[in-house]
Amino acid sequence: MFIKKIKNFYKYLILFLFIILTNNARAEFFEDLSKIIENNEKRLSYGISVTDFNMDGNNEFVVTGFGFPNLALSFQSGKLININQQKIFSDSLRKTIGVAACDIDKDGFEEIYFLNTDTYSGVKKYSDRLLDLEKNSFFDLFELEKNKENLNLTAGRSVVCVDRKGNGEYGIYVANYGGPTRFYEVENDLIKDKAKELNIDNITGGRAVISGHILTERTDIFAANERGANYLFKNDNGSFEDVAFDYRVDDVIQNGRGTTLSDIYYRGRLDILSGNWLGYHRAYVLENNSFKDIGNKDFDEPSRIRTIISADFDNDGYDEVFMNNIAEPNKLFRIEDNGKFKEIKLETGLEAEGFGTGAAVADIDNDGILELLVSRGESKEQPLTLYKAKVKKDSKYLRIKPLNKFGAPARGATVTLISNQRKHSKTIDAGSGYLCQMEPVAHYGIRKNEKNFKFEIKWTDGKKELIDINELNQTITIKQK
Amino acid sequence: MKKIFNLTLFLILILFQLKLFAEERNYHKELITDWSRIFPDQNRNAAGPKFFKYIIDKKITYKDFIEFNKLYCSVSGSLIDPNSEPDFLFVNESETNVKICGNYYKCCIPCSCDIMKYSKVQKMKYKFEDGIKEFFVFTIKNPCNKNDFPNRVNKDYFCDGKKINDKQVYNLNDRIVIGLLHDGRNCNKDEIDFVKSHQVTGRYCDLRNNTPLENLDAGMGDIFIKLAR
Repeated sequence: MFIKKIKNFYKYLILFLFIILTNNARAEFFEDLSKIIENNEKRLSYGISVTDFNMDGNNEFVVTGFGFPNLALSFQSGKLININQQKIFSDSLRKTIGVAACDIDKDGFEEIYFLNTDTYSGVKKYSDRLLDLEKNSFFDLFELEKNKENLNLTAGRSVVCVDRKGNGEYGIYVANYGGPTRFYEVENDLIKDKAKELNIDNITGGRAVISGHILTERTDIFAANERGANYLFKNDNGSFEDVAFDYRVDDVIQNGRGTTLSDIYYRGRLDILSGNWLGYHRAYVLENNSFKDIGNKDFDEPSRIRTIISADFDNDGYDEVFMNNIAEPNKLFRIEDNGKFKEIKLETGLEAEGFGTGAAVADIDNDGILELLVSRGESKEQPLTLYKAKVKKDSKYLRIKPLNKFGAPARGATVTLISNQRKHSKTIDAGSGYLCQMEPVAHYGIRKNEKNFKFEIKWTDGKKELIDINELNQTITIKQK
Repeated sequence: MKKIFNLTLFLILILFQLKLFAEERNYHKELITDWSRIFPDQNRNAAGPKFFKYIIDKKITYKDFIEFNKLYCSVSGSLIDPNSEPDFLFVNESETNVKICGNYYKCCIPCSCDIMKYSKVQKMKYKFEDGIKEFFVFTIKNPCNKNDFPNRVNKDYFCDGKKINDKQVYNLNDRIVIGLLHDGRNCNKDEIDFVKSHQVTGRYCDLRNNTPLENLDAGMGDIFIKLAR
């Protein structure tokens, strides 16, 4: 009798150990593709944007250089190649850290804002650049005499594109450090700083900034700051009101870093992921007119965080959150149903000794799987790294690329996948992570037994459009009417 | 019988699994999250009483109360890192002048000296979610009549005119509660000797507490002392 009991006990013990092991064991998530980056030398890099640099219909990774050339990495013949040949773009003498691209002059081409910083805080020596393209040549709008009175000569960090009026006239929010925030827009053919007029010219330690449908039908702004409260600027018909305190995202004694928008509950709305430097990382979800932090103890564990990216790397229909730490191992989480963050243990992509400074995602080779490019540097010159998830052979995807009425990527618009299993929103990235900007495409992997697909696009003016989908594994471009 | 045994084993395994994945309450994170609610003007100078009031007003158990009260400094109003070690010290009881020993969680060493010299302890009873408990708290006398109320402290936090502001801080017999003395009890002789001979609570505090106020240059120094003396 006793022996029988012991046998039973062992039976359950084995079952228990099996459950534990299967909970923790998982095949390697990423594959390292860094070898396809040509001339991938050690350098100091920071922010990365994804935009169509040469207007050929494909996106490039625009990688900033801190005293090193800015790069435009294009996927060609199985390689990631720097296709920039223009000095004003590479700009090796300036120290570029933040970058964002958007169409500020309504010609369909995304101008590129390079934020240069040659000092930690306060007044800097070299201004930022705002590059436009004319007859295949880049020129700096800030170098035009008429725009010189509006140069940004304050140290800064991130930039984000904001279509505050919802009419496709993008402005650029510049998160400065130790000087007033800037908000550049084109007005009467001039680049004007409208931050004061919009009542957002606050002085803080600006770090990261995102824009999208956070609270209203227009594009709102969330700015994660250091040595001061975060801002949550609610868009009121094109002007802004800071409601961070009311919505409980001010996080005043933590130091903000990477931040991004993510539909954490898969409920058809964008919530906020916000990393804090050596502080608790936040997973803010809106509940009863206030954000609640639902990050569990694995997710919120303080780290030397830089960029945060929310994307479906492995096409399983659930978003992952990539947390890029500097001089500390990176982390990856899967957002499961009900907002549960489950850590995916990394070996490839861990970069325990990597000095990560920025990262961006794009399906740069157009195969329906996202690539993750990580920039590194700051206190040690290191090459770029490139990763791609190992996906299941039968995995499927859908990609939605909304263009506004001027033919430019509709950054700040929200795409929502509606199926029999979820209502899943994604932003068309206007700037996110830390110093970075992702591809302007909503990328969805498809879940098991998922069917009846529809997409809703909420444009930057708040108007919605519903699209039926009959076929998977495609990128659908939708132009605003 | 066998079935019951198997079922019990199975339940134990399930409960163990659940426990493995249960989320523990992160008291430090809660205080960080609510910091701007506790200090709307962002001035936390000497504002330990604001933390105490905020914590005791929550619907919490006695265990939660204890854990929350390990995370701020009653003297300076600073947050304290989780897992910080307390100083063992004594403070005189308000009415009896009997020495009460216990643990004090501080942000920095001088605060231990300041609390020993400028505060008293009082016994307090309170009904928590899990019942009525009794414990010792640090208190200071009503500072609202002071002509030299320290200008770096937000007076509105403490005072409503010349009275203690009961809405913002906890008033115990017309004294302000500034924090919790952990594991408080009457001292025995060995404990008193230990505190008096300790390098911080003995030698260093002797030196600090005999230094004229104008010469203090460590800790919250004159701010708390001006408030509490």
